[in-house]
Amino acid sequence: MTLAITIGIMVAGGVYLMLQRGMVRIVFGLILVGHAVNLLIMSAGGVGRRDLPLLQFGTALTAGDPLPQAFVLTAIVIAFSIAIYMLTLAASGSDDDTEDAS
Amino acid sequence: MVLLLLMIVLAVTVACTPLLDRLLGRNAGWPISAVFLGLTLLVALQAPQVLGAGEPLEFSRPWMPQIGVDLHLRMDGLGWLFTMLVTGIGSLIMAYSTRYFPPGRRLGFYFLMSLFAMAMTGLVLADDVVLLFVFWELTTIASFYLIGLSGVSADRPAIRTFLLTAMGGLALLAAVVLLIVRTGTSRLSVILADTSWTQDTGFTSLVAVLVATAVFTKSAQFPFHYWLPDAMAASTPVSAYLHAAAMVKAGIYLAMRFTPAFGDLLLWNTLLITLGLTTAVIGAVFALQQHDLKRLAAFSTVSQLGFLVAVIGVGTPAALVAAAVHTVAHALFKSALFMVVGLVDIQTGTRDLRRLGGLRKRMPVTATVAALSALSMAGIPPLLGFISKENLFESLIHAPGPAWFGPVAGIVAVGAAAFTFAYSFRFVYGAFWGQPRGEDEESTATEARSSFWLPAITASLGGLLLGLTVPALDPLVNEVALNATHQSADAHLLLWHGFNAALGMSALAIGLGALLSWRSRSGEALAGRDLVPVTGVGVFEALYDGVIRAGKRTGDLTRTDSPAFHLGAPTIVMVVLAAVVAVAGLGLPPVAGQTALGLDWLLVGLMAVAVGSAVVTRSRMAGLALVGVAGFTVALWLFFLGAFDVALTQLLVEILTVVIAVLVLRRLPEKFHTVKRSRTVLTAAIAIGAGLSTGAAAYALTGRREISAAGEYFLSNAPDDTGGTNVVNTILVDYRALDTFGELVVLGVAGLIIIAVLHSSGLLPVHASRRVTVAESNAAYSANDNTVLMRTVGRFLMPLLVLWSMYLLLRGHNEPGGGFIAGLVGGSGFALLYLAASSDTRARIRLAYPAIIAAGVLVAAFSGFLGYADGSFLKPLHAEIPLAWGGYFHFTTALIFDVGVYLAVVGVLLTALNELGLDQGSGRRAKPREADAEQHPPALSSDEDTSALDGSTTGGNR
Repeated sequence: MTLAITIGIMVAGGVYLMLQRGMVRIVFGLILVGHAVNLLIMSAGGVGRRDLPLLQFGTALTAGDPLPQAFVLTAIVIAFSIAIYMLTLAASGSDDDTEDAS
Repeated sequence: MVLLLLMIVLAVTVACTPLLDRLLGRNAGWPISAVFLGLTLLVALQAPQVLGAGEPLEFSRPWMPQIGVDLHLRMDGLGWLFTMLVTGIGSLIMAYSTRYFPPGRRLGFYFLMSLFAMAMTGLVLADDVVLLFVFWELTTIASFYLIGLSGVSADRPAIRTFLLTAMGGLALLAAVVLLIVRTGTSRLSVILADTSWTQDTGFTSLVAVLVATAVFTKSAQFPFHYWLPDAMAASTPVSAYLHAAAMVKAGIYLAMRFTPAFGDLLLWNTLLITLGLTTAVIGAVFALQQHDLKRLAAFSTVSQLGFLVAVIGVGTPAALVAAAVHTVAHALFKSALFMVVGLVDIQTGTRDLRRLGGLRKRMPVTATVAALSALSMAGIPPLLGFISKENLFESLIHAPGPAWFGPVAGIVAVGAAAFTFAYSFRFVYGAFWGQPRGEDEESTATEARSSFWLPAITASLGGLLLGLTVPALDPLVNEVALNATHQSADAHLLLWHGFNAALGMSALAIGLGALLSWRSRSGEALAGRDLVPVTGVGVFEALYDGVIRAGKRTGDLTRTDSPAFHLGAPTIVMVVLAAVVAVAGLGLPPVAGQTALGLDWLLVGLMAVAVGSAVVTRSRMAGLALVGVAGFTVALWLFFLGAFDVALTQLLVEILTVVIAVLVLRRLPEKFHTVKRSRTVLTAAIAIGAGLSTGAAAYALTGRREISAAGEYFLSNAPDDTGGTNVVNTILVDYRALDTFGELVVLGVAGLIIIAVLHSSGLLPVHASRRVTVAESNAAYSANDNTVLMRTVGRFLMPLLVLWSMYLLLRGHNEPGGGFIAGLVGGSGFALLYLAASSDTRARIRLAYPAIIAAGVLVAAFSGFLGYADGSFLKPLHAEIPLAWGGYFHFTTALIFDVGVYLAVVGVLLTALNELGLDQGSGRRAKPREADAEQHPPALSSDEDTSALDGSTTGGNR
C-alpha cells in the first residue's frame, strides 16, 4: 500500500517532467520514472518479508526475495549510465534553452 | 568421409587466403587453383561409385539437433556434376586470375572467391533444406561483395544484384519452411521421395511458385534477367566464375533437384518453359545489340540459362539429359568466352567492338579459343554445344501441355538459337576478323603470355574433346536424369543421330542465324538501338525509390522533433489500457503479509514533498537537488525493504549523479523554460493519470503472493552452490552472470558514447549567467588558495577510498559489497579530486579511461571463458587457497568477473568526470584547442595555479 503510493507519486512527477520542454527536465523525469520502476520490481518481490538476504547475519526464512534485489541493483547502475549519457546530450551541441521553437 | 574432406579442404583454403596473399600477392591464385584441381580429381575418382554403381556418397553430423536440422551432405550424380563444375572451372579461373590482375595483393578477391567456391559446393551437396538455404544465401553474399570490390561505380549494381537475389532467397526460405512444416523433416532427399505432399496440388503449386521465384532470380530469368548484365561491373574473373559457370547455375541446380516433386505439375512446366524461352529470346536479341564484349557475353548467358530453365521445365528424363549436357557445355564455352573478354580487355585496353577488329593475326591463340567456344555456343558440330542443342530441341518439341505447345516451343527455341548463332558470329568476327578500327593501343596489341591464355584454351578444348567423345558422358547424364526425375533415361548421346527433327531444327537455326548475321551486318544494324522503352535497371530503381518514398511518407505521419509527443503517446495508451482493465475488474487474491508499516508513511510524505517541489521549481539546481532527495528516499525505501546492497548502490549513484549533473548544469541557464498554462494543464492531467494507474497497478498486482520459487531456491541453496552468503551478490556474479555481463557491456557502451558525442558535437562552454566575477581584492578571488583545505583532505582521502573500494570488492560475495558498489566507491574517490580542484582547464586524472572500460569487459569475458573448463560460459570455478595464518580463502572465478564489473564502473565514471569536467571538455582538446591557443595564448594555455584569472567559476565555487 505505502510502496504503491510512493510509486504512484514518483510516476506522476516523472511523467510530468518528461513531457516538459528541455532535455534537463526530461532527464529528471526519466530518473524519477526509473526509480519508480525499480521500486515496482521490489514490490513485485513482495514487501511482507523485509530481512536482509545476508545469510551470515540472518536466517533465510524471513529474508526478502533476493531476485528482484539483484535485478534492481544492476538496473540502478544502468539507469545511472543512461542518465549521465542524456545529461551529456543536454550539454553538447546546441543550447537546451532555446525559446523560439514551440 | 570424402564429402567431409572436400568441405574441410575448401574451408581451410578460405582460411589460408590471407597468408597466401601476404606471401604471394596475385600469385596466390596458383596454390588455390592447385587445391581446386586436386579436389576435382578427388571428385572424379568417386565416379565409379556415384555414377557407375549409382550409390550416392553421404555424410551426416548433428548440427542443431534440437530442431532436427543436421549437417547432411549427399553426393548423387546431380551433385557430382555440379561439384565437378564448381571445382574444375574454379581451378581454371583461379589460375587465370593470377595473370588478369596487375601485380599486387588481392586478398578480398581470393578470400571471397574461395568462400564462394565453398558455399557453392555446400549448396549442391546439401541434403538438408536449411543447409541448402544457408549456402544459397552465402553465395548471394559472396557475389555482393565480389561485385562491390570493383570500386564506387560498382556499388549500385552490387546492391541491385543483392536485393534481387536476396528476394529470391526469401522465396526459397518460405518454400523451405512450408516443406519442413508439411513433411516434418528437413532432409531434402526424404522430402523429395515423399509423395504424400505432391498429391496436394494447391500446396505443391504454392511451393513450386516459390521455388521457381528463387530459380528465376538466381539464374537471371525474365523479368529478373537484368541483374546479370548489371553485375558485369565486377571484374572479369568474377563474371567468368560466378556469373557464367557457377552461381547462376545454382538456380539451374535447384530446378533440377526439385524436378521429382514438380516435374508432373503443369503449372511448373508452363512457368519454366514460357519464361525460360522468353528469356532465351530476349537475352539473345539483346546480346546481338551490344557493343561491349562483356555485356554481349552476359546477355548470352541470360539467353542460355533461359534454354536450360525451359528444358528443365519439360521435366522428362530425356529433357533432363539435355539440361545436364547443356550445363556442362555452357560452363565450358561461357567461362572460356569470359576469359577471352578479359584477355582482349587486358591486351588491348578496350572491350568495345567499335574499336576492336582484326585481332586474329596478333592474338592467334585468343582468336582460336574464341572461335572454338563461339562455335560450341552457336551449336556447330562436332562441338559439345551442338549435341546439347540437338537434345534441347528434341526435348522441347515434346513439351507437356496442349498439342500445339511443343511445336510452338520448338519454333521459339529455333528463333532464339538463330540469334545465338548471330551474336556468336558477332563476338568472333567483330573482335578478331575484319580490319582494326581503333588507332593506338588496340592495333598494336600482342598475344598474351601462355600462362594467361592456358586456362581459357583448356576450357574451350574441353568442349571440343567432349563433343568428339560424347558417349563417354552417357553414365553421367543418365545418372543425373535418374536423380532428377526418379525415372531411368537410358540415353545414348551421339554426334550423329541420323536425319530427324532436331537435326532439321539445328540446320534451320544455323541457316537463319547466318542470314541474320548477313542482313544485320553481324549485328551492327541493330546494335545500340532501344528496342523496348524501359530498362530493367530503370524499373528496379523506380520501384526502389518508390518503396523508400512510401516508407518516408509512412514515417512522416508520426515524425516530430518534440520528445513530448514520443513520450506522451505511449503514456496515454497505457493510461487508457489501465482504465479499461479497471472498469472490467480483476479477481484479486488477498494481500499477503503486512505491507504497510508505520514508518513507511514517513517515506511517503518525504517523497510527496520532494516530487511535488521538483515539478514546480523553475531553477535547474533546485530541480537537481529535489530529484536527489527523491533518490535518497528511494534508498531509504530499499533499506526498509531489506535490500541493503541495493540501497547502498542507490545512495552512491545519487551522490555521483549530482556530481556529474552539476558539471553539466553549469553550462546551462539557471532557469528552466517558462511553460504555457495550457501545456501545464494537459501534461499534468496525463501525469496524474499515469501516476494513478501505476499506483493502482502496483497495489493491485503485486504483494499478493508468498516469496517466488526462484527467490526461495536462491536463499536456500546459494551458500552450497556458490560458497557465498550474500545472496544478491551470488545472483549477480554466479547464477545470472550472463545478465550482469550484458549490463556491464551496456554500461561500457554508454561511456564510449559519451566520448563519441562530445568528440563529434563538442561541449557547451560554461553558461554566461554562471560565470561569477569576483573582484581581485575579494578573499574568494584566488581559487587556488580557497581550495587548499579540500585538496589536502582529498589527497589523503582519495587513496583511502580506493583502498576501501578494493576491500568492498573482495568481501562482496559474503557481506555487503561487490563489483558495482566497490566501483561506485572508487569512482567517488576520483570525483572528490574533481570537486576539490582549483581549476577546470586541466584533466585531474590522466588515466586511459576507455581502456579501463574495455579492460572491464575483457576481464569479465575472460572469467566467462574460464567457465568452459567446467562446462559452460561464465560458470564459476572454485578453489580453496590455504592462508599463511591458517584457514582457507575461498577463491572463485566469480571474483574475477566482479573485478571486470568494478573496472567498467570506474571507467565509465572517469569518462563522465573527465569529459564533462573540463571547461571545454576533453573532446575539443586535440585540434581546436591548439588553434585557440595561438590566438589567445595566455588565457587558455595557462598552468593550473594561474588559470583562475579568466573569471569563470572555478573549483571551489562549483
